[in-house]
Amino acid sequence: MRNRIIGFKEWLSLPGGFGILTGSVMLGVIILLGIIIPNFGPYKSDAFVGDPFLPPSRNHPFGLDQLGRDVMTRTFSSVGVDLGVAFLGVSIPLIIGTIIGILLGLAKNRHVANLVGSIIDGINAFPLLIIAVAMLTFLGTGLKNVVIILAISNWARYARISRTRAVVVSKQNYIEASKTLGYSRKRIILKHIAPNVSSETVAYALSDFILVIVVVSGLSFLGLATQPPMAEWGSMIADGRAFISISWWLVIFPGLALCWSAISLSFIVEGISRRDRGN
Amino acid sequence: MSANHLLEIKDLRIEVRVTRTKRLSIIDTATLIIDPGEIIGLIGESGSGKTMLCRSLVGTLARRGAYIASGELKFDGIDLVTAKQNVWSQIRGKRIGYVPQSALAGPNPVMTIGAQLAEAILQDENFPKSEVKNRALELLSIVQIHRPETVLKQYQHELSGGMKQRVMIACAIAQQPQLIVADEPTTGLDVTVQAEIMQLLMKIREDFNTSIILVSHDLPLVNEICDDIVVMHAGTTVEKIPSKLIKFSKHPYTIALYNSRIDLVEPKGELKTIAGQPPSVGSWPEGCRFSERCDLATDLCKVKQDLNLIPIGDNHQTSCLRHEQIVRF
Amino acid sequence: MNIIEAENISVVFDSYGDIIKAVDHVDFILPKGQTIGIVGESGSGKSTFARVLSGLQIPSSGEVKFMGSPIWNGNKIYEGALRKEVQMVFQDPYGSLNPRMRIVKAVAEAIRHHQGLDKKSSTLAAFDLLESMGISNLDAQKFPSKLSGGQRQRASVARALSAQPSVLIADEPTSAIDQSAQAQLLGLFNDLIKNGLSIVLVSHDLGIIRYLSDYVYVMKDGIFVESGTSEEIFNNPKEDYTKKLISSIPGRSIT
Repeated sequence: MRNRIIGFKEWLSLPGGFGILTGSVMLGVIILLGIIIPNFGPYKSDAFVGDPFLPPSRNHPFGLDQLGRDVMTRTFSSVGVDLGVAFLGVSIPLIIGTIIGILLGLAKNRHVANLVGSIIDGINAFPLLIIAVAMLTFLGTGLKNVVIILAISNWARYARISRTRAVVVSKQNYIEASKTLGYSRKRIILKHIAPNVSSETVAYALSDFILVIVVVSGLSFLGLATQPPMAEWGSMIADGRAFISISWWLVIFPGLALCWSAISLSFIVEGISRRDRGN
Repeated sequence: MSANHLLEIKDLRIEVRVTRTKRLSIIDTATLIIDPGEIIGLIGESGSGKTMLCRSLVGTLARRGAYIASGELKFDGIDLVTAKQNVWSQIRGKRIGYVPQSALAGPNPVMTIGAQLAEAILQDENFPKSEVKNRALELLSIVQIHRPETVLKQYQHELSGGMKQRVMIACAIAQQPQLIVADEPTTGLDVTVQAEIMQLLMKIREDFNTSIILVSHDLPLVNEICDDIVVMHAGTTVEKIPSKLIKFSKHPYTIALYNSRIDLVEPKGELKTIAGQPPSVGSWPEGCRFSERCDLATDLCKVKQDLNLIPIGDNHQTSCLRHEQIVRF
Repeated sequence: MNIIEAENISVVFDSYGDIIKAVDHVDFILPKGQTIGIVGESGSGKSTFARVLSGLQIPSSGEVKFMGSPIWNGNKIYEGALRKEVQMVFQDPYGSLNPRMRIVKAVAEAIRHHQGLDKKSSTLAAFDLLESMGISNLDAQKFPSKLSGGQRQRASVARALSAQPSVLIADEPTSAIDQSAQAQLLGLFNDLIKNGLSIVLVSHDLGIIRYLSDYVYVMKDGIFVESGTSEEIFNNPKEDYTKKLISSIPGRSIT
């Protein structure tokens, strides 16, 4: 009773295959380096290992920053921070938003559902970065707060998608069939409605991931997220900004790492959407 | 019969690009000839290729990654195989009209009916803008829509299925095309509406001498309306027969289709279904593609061969090698 | 004996202030072992009525009885063991199956729910049931999007039959599939009828109504304008509307 396992070459030649592969490899590379270099590399990310502003050399391929710390180690230490925070900043809103959306979409009381729907639309009207900045200045800075704020403000986008989808799905014939077959309401929601709703929200989450990484770096750049001496691309760029004309390596390498992450994810997302369209 | 046919399709082969290197043939050895003023029915099961054949007539193959690999496709003497966009833009919507399936698309939901008709009318760049409204009203009355003034201002969702199709027909005939390709125009519509739409198509043929290709899977319908019937199976044309002579069909597939008509069977009687499924694209067998399901098939049928149509009578062609063994059924 | 009796059924919708009478005080009987056809054009109310019979739509008035007992009990419909007795097959093969569930899993779920088998047995039973409907083991493992319309409809019927119902309500089962798939589906229905299933067949296709039904109701604008045996309706229609319907069938005109 085994399914036909599709060969790798065949998988690759389907639409989007190349993109997904490239993106995954790129992402894999930076995650791997993010694990190896900070933990097994010769330097620590906050250690002072030499003269400040040392240009890239054999011992220090990315040079040293304004306090004499190794830029390469710091750049790759940030991988865990940025990707990790972004992951939380997406997965928590994804889960909360999807659940709330489904509940709203299936709600019997139209007035309450519409009221909450309006609130959601209100939240969605504000760009994420603006809300984040506003709330951080209000609540205080720090990575933990960033995650909390992302959870509070980003869920609405997922809820909106999830609600619309839940309404559409609940009207489909297979849901009606589930009712005549006597399935419990719980079963219908969990096994039939939720999977068909979450496919949309998860798809959105993938592209949201890219946005959130940039937002997190952006907040750090503004000094609202990470505190020194923590290494993070945004804050590294902020610190190095003043010296860019003479010590470009302080800014370029964290910037490249940020771009690399965003681009690799874009390839993956684009590849997946091409694959879906192709089908 | 070498007079200029309106449409000549000979041994057409259409392939589609599956991946960068893999190609699949979805139609081959397709032959179809139409003269002015004829209504031809094109029947076949889903997957037979009839829709792709229609697409080749309106030049929309490329959108699906398909292309004509070989064969002839001539419209009024113009070669359409190698035609570029500038040639197609003079033909599509002007000399060849298209009426889509009733279940799909239909009029553009964000435009008023009037706007859509205007668009179809202004395909002729020289048409005076001041006359557009009059022409639109004229078209709506040709397709027998009551209260055309009101309909001009309405949107697609305000119309019934039958009315939407009438509007699509109006758009298709705006430029007085020589040929209309109607791809299952009444599938899914109520039977009374279907009858009216068919009457309308016949009237258009009467009044304007337009040729019509009517694609359908409904044999009784096609039998009643069309002059000739072309039967497609697994990507190839297997028979062309005047509809009056359908009982004298010389192809086992056509006969099987005819026999599986539900209106011929008594209530709850034995339905003569055609066993199995037609071979799908990519797994066409060598030789005759119906041989697996055919009662009359011999080993000779399964051997690799040309699937050409053999003329066997007045305006009657079949691709069955054993047609002489077929007696009247 | 009548397996379903419906009396004085009305369904009234309130659509943004407009009152729409989809079904207007109709009576209906399904005798055991028979196939009853409801024929009508779009907008006639036949689908709404079918949903009332299957318990998916609450009528604004009237009562439906199954084997003599009302199907509604307060807010509950077809309570307990009754629920499996009346199953439905829908028109649109594309929306009738969960797109994220393999066919065999969908049918196995129904079998497990109704026949109480464990996961493994119900999956095996599902494979068997689907095979008996002409869907191979290989196809059964696919997702609905990879199957043809005809196959999807047969899978829907298989799912409905998993409940081992005594009544099957089929709402336009053949409208979206092509002729040979239609013929296969109707042959399937034929077999089910021979095995004692009672069927309510709702359609605008007079051909299949004539082929399967013992008795026919003709519906227009929410009411039954005429009813009679299949013979009577098709060979001797009395009402103008019925005559109009019959004469629209290609190849048939009433003298």
